[in-house]
Amino acid sequence: MNCYLCDRMTSSQVSWRSIFFNELEEVICLRCRAGFERTAVGCPLCSAPGEGKCLNCSQWETTEYAGVIDSGKSLYRYNHAMKEFLHQYKFLKDVVLSEVFASVLKEECGKQNSVIVPIPMNAVKLKERTFPQVDRLLDAASIPYTHCLGKNEVGLGEKSKSERMALQDVFWWNGQAVPEKILLFDDLYTTGSTMRLAAKVLKEKGAKEIKILALIRA
Amino acid sequence: MKQLEEFLTGRTWLRNFIPFPKELVDKAISTGAISVSQGMLDGRQCARCLEKSKQKIIPFLCARCNGICYYCRHCIKMGRISSCTELITWALPSTISPQSHSFHWNGNLTPLQEKASLEVQNSLSQKNDHLVYAVCGAGKTELLFPSIFDALKKGQRVCIAAPRTDVVLELSPRLRTVFPNTIVHSLYGNSPEEPGFAQLVLATTHQLYRFKDAFDVMIVDEADAFPYSYDPALKRAVIKAKKKEAPIIYVSATPSDQLIKQVSNTSKIFQRFHGYPLPVPEFRSLWGYEKDIAKGRIPSKLMAWVDDKIAKEQPFLLFFPSIELIEQAIVLFQKKHPSIEAVHSQDEDRKEKIMKLRQRQIPGVLTSTILERGITITNVQVAVVGADQPIFDAAALIQISGRTGRSKDYPDGEIVFFHNGIVRQMDKAKKLIVSYNEGAGI
Repeated sequence: MNCYLCDRMTSSQVSWRSIFFNELEEVICLRCRAGFERTAVGCPLCSAPGEGKCLNCSQWETTEYAGVIDSGKSLYRYNHAMKEFLHQYKFLKDVVLSEVFASVLKEECGKQNSVIVPIPMNAVKLKERTFPQVDRLLDAASIPYTHCLGKNEVGLGEKSKSERMALQDVFWWNGQAVPEKILLFDDLYTTGSTMRLAAKVLKEKGAKEIKILALIRA
Repeated sequence: MKQLEEFLTGRTWLRNFIPFPKELVDKAISTGAISVSQGMLDGRQCARCLEKSKQKIIPFLCARCNGICYYCRHCIKMGRISSCTELITWALPSTISPQSHSFHWNGNLTPLQEKASLEVQNSLSQKNDHLVYAVCGAGKTELLFPSIFDALKKGQRVCIAAPRTDVVLELSPRLRTVFPNTIVHSLYGNSPEEPGFAQLVLATTHQLYRFKDAFDVMIVDEADAFPYSYDPALKRAVIKAKKKEAPIIYVSATPSDQLIKQVSNTSKIFQRFHGYPLPVPEFRSLWGYEKDIAKGRIPSKLMAWVDDKIAKEQPFLLFFPSIELIEQAIVLFQKKHPSIEAVHSQDEDRKEKIMKLRQRQIPGVLTSTILERGITITNVQVAVVGADQPIFDAAALIQISGRTGRSKDYPDGEIVFFHNGIVRQMDKAKKLIVSYNEGAGI
């Protein structure tokens, strides 16, 4: 088959492991895979580089959002290859690219005893994009999840951080039972506001422990 | 509205991506000036690029329609086409007023070019397809000038399509100089928007996806080049972009047997415009070069070749069979000669690096097959590392050899095939080059 990203021929690697252990098929070539950069040990909440809690997360801990996130991590850095990937996946809407990180996500979420809750999409935005890009990343890895939240029509993208912190009503509880232990999942972690706004609502509705997982730390 | 007409005449464009106000477009649709069609034909074929393979036409659960839609991965970089997207095109007969054209060229055609040029004009007047089979450096573009000028004067719309951006970029300034009063557009991935209605369009074959029934004359330059030759979608795009009756002029130094058979009118030029023979490739063994490079060593024969060009201050191109090998080798070369650069298809600074080589700011460039054709660098010396690799077929090797000796001030040049064992394609390339040289006098 051809690599989903560079479209060059990849030697399809059918191994015994892939047959017996039901491993996910590799959809990109080794060269494209090598372009993505994994996070190393960093901030215990968001994996930003450096020792201990990062400046950004420390600041959050001085606000009313202190403690809403118990721990967390991000898997990849936002480098050139990742920027290109997100552009093609989210902006060009290349749905099949949801499979690119399936095996990594499967490994990450498989060893988990929390219930996975993806960050939801606003209904209008969803119609525009035509697919829920966060859900699809999990679907591609056959990871079960529950939606406990809905999202209002506010694009966080254009807001400054202080404005974001003021936004109380971005997420609302959708009436589903809120599990005690939650792994909140999103594609991209930038300022941390999305995760914290969502986590706060979930804690108010009865969640005891919230971990976060972001595919990418910008 | 005039600008919208100029933009959309002969084009097929995603309704949501058009660079005009929505109200204007909606109004033109309601009056029937613009027609709207579905993104997918028969549900499973992309209406823009005509792709229909299962690998590229992908079903997904569409949140807009709450049902299964198909989308096309093949041309997705131009904005995604899916079952529920719409394409628009200008539906009314053209009201665009004719332009005046002038022809500024004081070069001369050689007798062979002159003959081919007349043969092309003859085929065009009879609306027949034509193949110009001419060696690298024969002056193929120049011999087309009279035909292009003729067509422009008649008010016809002309397209020159080339498989690669590099070729379009090379042609563009030349044609703008020769036809200074003509509106020329150059279209390639991320090319800047140009105003007006272009009667002469230079485009990569990919960009032809965005045209329909547009051209009266279609010229396909480098008609054998990857990806054109390997990609049936691009062949379909050529047919779709031209008007039904419009003839196609194929131009190639290395036409496939199939193309030679398919087109009955052919002009052959086996002599370069300056009259000197084509440099003939020399075979040199380079055993185990891949292992050497992987171990962090440039084989001494290869380093000696590069050292020699740098000592003589001759610009050089060093072709490699894979991007991976280029990435390993460039690091090693730069240890000794820091100003050597590397380019490949995914390199965004390619344009700038070639410019630097041309201006002699850097001594040489390591390259993938991306530079095998279309580029002219005075006095360039060329070597192929791994000429035995399958990516270098005879056509590619002939094109690569054709980079040398193109200027009449430096009609000779070195072309070396470094190999790990001579293969048939290398032999075929060399034999053909020798046969062109022998036939050149006829």
